[in-house]
Amino acid sequence: MLGERISFRRGPMVDMPLLLGVVAILTLGLVNLYSATSVYIDDESRARLADIYVTQIYWIVVGALLAILVAAIDYRHYERLAPVLYAGGMVSLGLVFILGRDIRGSSRWIQLGSFAFQPSEFMKLFLILMIAKFVHNDSRTEPRTLFDLAPAALWILLPVAAVMAQPDLGTSLIYLLTAISMLAMMRVRVLSVLSLVTTGAISLPLAWMYVMRDYQKHRITSFLNPEADKTGTGWHALQSQTAIGNGQLTGEGFMQGTQNQFGFLPEQYSDFPFAVFSEDWGFVGTVFLIALYAFICIWAIHVASQAKDRFGAALAVGVGAMVFWHAIFNIGMAMGVLPVVGITLPLFSYGGSSVLTMLMGLGLLMNVSMRR
Amino acid sequence: MLVQRSDVGEFRQRYRWLVLVTVLAFGILIGRLAQLQLIEGDVHRAQARKNIVRERSLATTRGVIRDANGRVLAANRPSYSVHITPSVIDLETTWPRVLKVVRLEDFERAAIEKKIAEIKALPKDDKRRSQQILLKVDVDRDVVAFLETHEKELDGVEVTPAPVRYYPYGELGAHVIGYMQEVDAEALERLDGRGYRAGDHIGAIGIERRWESYLRGQRGWRKIVRGVSRRESNAEIDAKYLEEPRRLEPIPGRDISLTLDIDLVSSIDKAMRGQLAGAVVVVDVRTGRLLAALSKPSFDPNVVSGGNGVKAVREAFRRLNSDPLKPTLDKTISAAYPPGSTYKPFTALAALADRLTDPDREVDCHGGFEYGKRFFRCTGVHRKVNLHSAIVQSCNTYFYELGSRLSIDRLASIGLDFGFGVKTGIGVNPEARGRMPTRSWYTRRYKEAFRGGFTLLSAIGQGATTVSVLQLALSYAAIANGGTLYQPQVVRSIETSDGTVVQDFPPRVRRMVELDQDHLSMVQSALAGVVNERDGTAYKERIPGVDMSGKTGTAQVSHVTPRGVDPDRVWYFNRDHAWFAGYAPSKSPEIAIVVIIEHGGGGGKNAAPVAMRVVRDWEKMKEKRVSAQTPPHPPGKRGSL
Repeated sequence: MLGERISFRRGPMVDMPLLLGVVAILTLGLVNLYSATSVYIDDESRARLADIYVTQIYWIVVGALLAILVAAIDYRHYERLAPVLYAGGMVSLGLVFILGRDIRGSSRWIQLGSFAFQPSEFMKLFLILMIAKFVHNDSRTEPRTLFDLAPAALWILLPVAAVMAQPDLGTSLIYLLTAISMLAMMRVRVLSVLSLVTTGAISLPLAWMYVMRDYQKHRITSFLNPEADKTGTGWHALQSQTAIGNGQLTGEGFMQGTQNQFGFLPEQYSDFPFAVFSEDWGFVGTVFLIALYAFICIWAIHVASQAKDRFGAALAVGVGAMVFWHAIFNIGMAMGVLPVVGITLPLFSYGGSSVLTMLMGLGLLMNVSMRR
Repeated sequence: MLVQRSDVGEFRQRYRWLVLVTVLAFGILIGRLAQLQLIEGDVHRAQARKNIVRERSLATTRGVIRDANGRVLAANRPSYSVHITPSVIDLETTWPRVLKVVRLEDFERAAIEKKIAEIKALPKDDKRRSQQILLKVDVDRDVVAFLETHEKELDGVEVTPAPVRYYPYGELGAHVIGYMQEVDAEALERLDGRGYRAGDHIGAIGIERRWESYLRGQRGWRKIVRGVSRRESNAEIDAKYLEEPRRLEPIPGRDISLTLDIDLVSSIDKAMRGQLAGAVVVVDVRTGRLLAALSKPSFDPNVVSGGNGVKAVREAFRRLNSDPLKPTLDKTISAAYPPGSTYKPFTALAALADRLTDPDREVDCHGGFEYGKRFFRCTGVHRKVNLHSAIVQSCNTYFYELGSRLSIDRLASIGLDFGFGVKTGIGVNPEARGRMPTRSWYTRRYKEAFRGGFTLLSAIGQGATTVSVLQLALSYAAIANGGTLYQPQVVRSIETSDGTVVQDFPPRVRRMVELDQDHLSMVQSALAGVVNERDGTAYKERIPGVDMSGKTGTAQVSHVTPRGVDPDRVWYFNRDHAWFAGYAPSKSPEIAIVVIIEHGGGGGKNAAPVAMRVVRDWEKMKEKRVSAQTPPHPPGKRGSL
């Protein structure tokens, strides 16, 4: 019966709930960015921040056009394109090391004319496509062994390693968690899962000792004990919690949050926009915002469950997972329950590459949703 | 279609879990959000307010010090300093304009330009970039006016007012009034909890130090919102973020009225012109109040209090501390000198009280007194002298002879009766006790046996006997007033800044010296004779019409002065101290005056004229004040000239 009804549908239909959800977050994000960038403190930083939200509008417009483009082409074409895109992404990640611009000790950017972009952001989408393709093609029904998952592991570890080398802990975490979330859709042997968990447990201390940079370790130690480091990274986390707490039930009001207005929030437009929002709008407004993110994630799962093939379902889960992990980490670090790792809040944080990636990802989701 | 569907069947059971995980994860975040905003909200709001609110302290004003007639001796004036912010200032346009009005020495200019360049070279996010440097202190009014009218064009230049202590009479009475100094680290630690901060000024000596806690007042504060304080009107922001109370008004310091008469000090200063070093004290015979005190050389408290900047203070102290005449020493209170012949009246009183001599008994002075194997020299050959003429002519032989009858302990005890050898309790500046040597003191001091010669020296105020100028003045006041020894006072009353008297200090008697009034009047008439009789040691220097009594003194400083050398040509520091101690008027005395001129030579020739002049001026001032109280013309007539 169900199948019958779907087969009679006339062409692709825009997924209105998804569209409305995205537009709502984008709107709140822009309003919030305006608040975050018009601060009292001093004329110099006011001038510096003034055009940030205008730039963000440009990026959103460009991102929306790209999203429409992405959504317009049947997603099944992407399955064939996935390896090409993935390879291109890897090449640009490699280029970062050659052409990369050094910002605060890590090179994440490539300068193209007057634009600087972050290849690692777009790589998120290429990785999702690649893993979706893997899931799509491995359609056996019996539980898989670790050996069966080896190719996927390779697709994951290549970009993770490249990004870790930049070094960018946050993005590599996102790669890892998003891809694992997608693979979790498949049946894997209990034994394999156990051994994977064991390996992880062993490799974490090793990574701590040999792979992670000092400043990354510092962020984690200061997360575990923020009081010990009140001036550095721990200070950011504490000020952010103060800002959120200061919002109380109804908030200080639009552009009235003192923690933001008086310059106590570092990176208030990129890393801590959530704190700005919470301080301005309070518990009521913030619960609404969190609910919007939860809605997008659950809607992605809903879209996946409705998808007509494994590629579409995996794609939807991948995009949902990407949004999910970004939101959880960014909000978690703003509230002091997760370490400060520099992960953006989707559609809220300022940043061209981030906005474009998120909007194109949501375009993919829309694509799947329209063709179920 | 159905085949394709079965493909995704594998995922079906996963979706429920994914939804569960999603809901759970966001649920945890909302739980944490509730904890931060609803449960701990007040704590965080308090912290957020604390972040943006600053307490600015509000300066208080130090109390004013006035003299007995209400003249201001120490007050406050605004002083303007120019600061620049090197990271902001424009070296091409602003800097030359500033230099045109704020004149700097070439080396100063070079040093500041170097500093500016250093700070401008710092990276953008360095906190030191925002620092200010001092360009010049205490700039003139017209410079302030220029900088303030052109404030808008002169970015990075700031004029800040700061109160500076101001002493209108400069050096006059500086030792008693005192001066201010910046609190040092040691003082900050000692005064912990009394609200002193680095950069504060604190009274260094004199009244400024002793009455610091009354004079200084109490700082207030007001809360401000950080960072926006200099912007537009902030009434709205203030009302929103600042909790009551937003302000605590400062309490101004107490004003202090002294017993000093600055006009009298000024006339002493005039009378002391031409003298290198010395001290003068005038006390009120009937109350023990200090009417005037002058210690020479003096210093300008305006300079050492920082009115001309920190550099000037350092330079001034370097000069003051290396001066052999010790300008920073209060010679009226903190120094003790051998009293010389000015001590003779006390020796006479002791001998009379013990009935060791008859005032009319005569001693033959033939230039000295033989005692044991030694010959004690007199100032001349006086022939037959009795008690009266011995004081009038200051005959040493007579007093050596008295000394041979007295014990040294008796001489010390009469000294203690008149307040020598102990602190007077004036309460300002460290006091010199002076010394009344006793037999036991000599045996402790010198290993050899006590010799009678020491008593002879004590009898003429030499030997180990020392007194402070203030002690001598109070003891002469006691002779003048019939034997009442007062505790000296400098502070007359304490008032609030609006003039209400908070505390008033009535005179305090230390002791009544037990004296036979006949003996006292004998000494008083001899002291009158010193000035008024033809053979008196101060007769030559008397000013006709000035009625006073007193005693001259020439105190030996060192015994190495070769004999037969012209006393005027002895090396300065080997010369004798010149003394005059007395009171006026002779009949019903009102003031006692003591003058010492360090290494001034003979007392009659050098110290007495100073005392006479001061007494003359004092009489004139008294007359003027009396006539001012009873105006000769009724005030109504002024219009009909």
